[in-house]
Amino acid sequence: MRLLEFQAKQLFGEYGIPIPRGILITSVDDASRAEAPAVLKAQVIVGGRGKAGGIRLVRTAEEVINGVQDLLQMSIKGYPISALLAEEPIQIKHEYYLSVLYDKKTNAPMIMASAAGGVDIEQVSRENPEKIIRSNIDSFIGLQKYTPRYMAAKLGIGDMDGFIDIVGKLYDILLECDATLVEINPLVETEHGLLALDAKIVLDDRAEFRHEERFARIRQEQRDLNKKPKTEAERLANERNITYVPLEGNIAMIADGAGTGMLTLDLIQDEGGGAANFCEMGGLANTQIMFDAMEVVLANPKAKVLLITLIGGLTRMDEIAEGIAQYIRVHGRMVPMVVRMCGTQEEVGRATLHDIGIEPFEDLVKTVQAAVSLARTV
Amino acid sequence: MAILIDKSTRVLIQGITGNVGNFQTKVMKDYGTQIVAGITPGKGGTTTHGIPVYNFVAEAVADHKIDAAFGFVPGRFTKDAAFEVLEAGIPFVVITTESVPSKDMIQIIHFAAQKGARVIGPDTAGVISPGKSKLGVHPNRMFMEGNVGVISKSGALSYEVGKNLTENGVGQSTVVGIGGGPFWGLTQTAVLKMFEEDPETKAVVMLGEVGGTMELEAAEYIKHHVTKPVVALIVGRHAPEGAQMGHAGAIIEGNVGTAASKIRALEEAGVRIAYRPAEIPQIIKSLGVL
Repeated sequence: MRLLEFQAKQLFGEYGIPIPRGILITSVDDASRAEAPAVLKAQVIVGGRGKAGGIRLVRTAEEVINGVQDLLQMSIKGYPISALLAEEPIQIKHEYYLSVLYDKKTNAPMIMASAAGGVDIEQVSRENPEKIIRSNIDSFIGLQKYTPRYMAAKLGIGDMDGFIDIVGKLYDILLECDATLVEINPLVETEHGLLALDAKIVLDDRAEFRHEERFARIRQEQRDLNKKPKTEAERLANERNITYVPLEGNIAMIADGAGTGMLTLDLIQDEGGGAANFCEMGGLANTQIMFDAMEVVLANPKAKVLLITLIGGLTRMDEIAEGIAQYIRVHGRMVPMVVRMCGTQEEVGRATLHDIGIEPFEDLVKTVQAAVSLARTV
Repeated sequence: MAILIDKSTRVLIQGITGNVGNFQTKVMKDYGTQIVAGITPGKGGTTTHGIPVYNFVAEAVADHKIDAAFGFVPGRFTKDAAFEVLEAGIPFVVITTESVPSKDMIQIIHFAAQKGARVIGPDTAGVISPGKSKLGVHPNRMFMEGNVGVISKSGALSYEVGKNLTENGVGQSTVVGIGGGPFWGLTQTAVLKMFEEDPETKAVVMLGEVGGTMELEAAEYIKHHVTKPVVALIVGRHAPEGAQMGHAGAIIEGNVGTAASKIRALEEAGVRIAYRPAEIPQIIKSLGVL
């Protein structure tokens, strides 16, 4: 789960990382609470908001009100702006980049820093890789001071103690909050030392059980602010915890694994069809998950044919067939349906499907071809 | 021979009395896997399917020589369970759990390295050396003994390809599910190295997907170190940028992790590319190495 900037800065505040003074504004009425001059920053979950006009310097009380009015009517990459962070303008002497994350190449925590801050770090990585310093941390020994000290020296940071302190706190957030990325871009040098001008934190959804309160609070705040209209299928998928990616075609698909799901998607497109979505049920699905997945993908009005591809290992086909049968008992046959079923307990599963008038396929490609040709006729 | 597991591998099952664990233990035992002990805290002293159950791994290793551990353990307990078997000196650990926190997985991989142990997973269907032993949840009939090594990030995709190979008379030496990430114990490259060194394996099939750069590293390794023919299938050619395609590791970020970039790198390394499972046995037969 990615935090909004103000949520990430709140966490920085709790850990004592220096941040600009600021307030959250969610309506034009709130605008009077902001003191001019100020920097108004759109609170959206996507990157590149500066380029999209989502950050504005306002110098007078009148400009504050106009700026708030303008920004709250804008959208960035499809996300309507429903909150702004109004911050004191900062006199910047230099901009740095700093992050801590888990490095997929070494399977270890990593500190990444650069004197080229304030710009897209992936671009720096492509064009000037020598400008980025990386340092892996031994998970068991933990962060020692020599690592940030060395980095500060290499980057030419004057406030070495401040830098060591901030790196230590980012590392604490990574571990204590189960973050997978904690990033400051830019980390700025000012008259009074270093300051986190921006903040990005991604928390690990798989560790939610250790932080239930924090996750619930952040999610609620985002629900209140982030009013990007969700489709009924997306809303249901969220509620039922089903993997669902909306696409543009008319063939709704469900698979019982990520790999076979992606394969099914590729085959649909290769055969000249178009998938209405990507949906997979994970390696251990059951009757309820099958039922829920069907409700989710068929809530999409674009879906004209349903293609279900199953090859059960842990997932038992008898239970899955029961899920399909239950769906049909409750909702009837919303759209023509093509099913491929094989794997654990397939005999029972196929018999259940036969009883409700579905003859499952065995060959995957033939199944996809059948769905694509049905989709042409509806 | 095969890699990682064979008929002589003695296995410990963690979570042996849970619903799924107990059902799959029976399936594995019937397949021929030597399961010598199981763990369920609080159920020590009982037996299930004729297998003794212990409260602690230390007690099981005191009574049995154990070569591998296989876990049916929920995400929140996975780190503790994995540390317990690593501490007890078991050299090979299979982690099927899908929802292991990144911090825990990083520490498990780190501890395994200290202990000189191998970990596969998380989010893996396991390993099968057809006709010999199975530490996984694969449907038996889709696999048969032979000389093709298979490496897969996805469980179901390895069944799909196993089925196509088996129905076309192409058997497998070992089928290794490395898991869906986003962090991996054994990588594609590590398993490629084992297959290269295994005299029984004559060709390798690698099943990859979008997200990350592991396939690029594998391509680089193949170019310089693998003499056996490799066939690859990369799924997610039509996956949209920025969407999580089921697996934690399967996400195209910007222009990193696209199927096209992986296919290009593998082709440049001399790997034959298949676009659908049915092509794989045909390509392998055409190689003339079996």
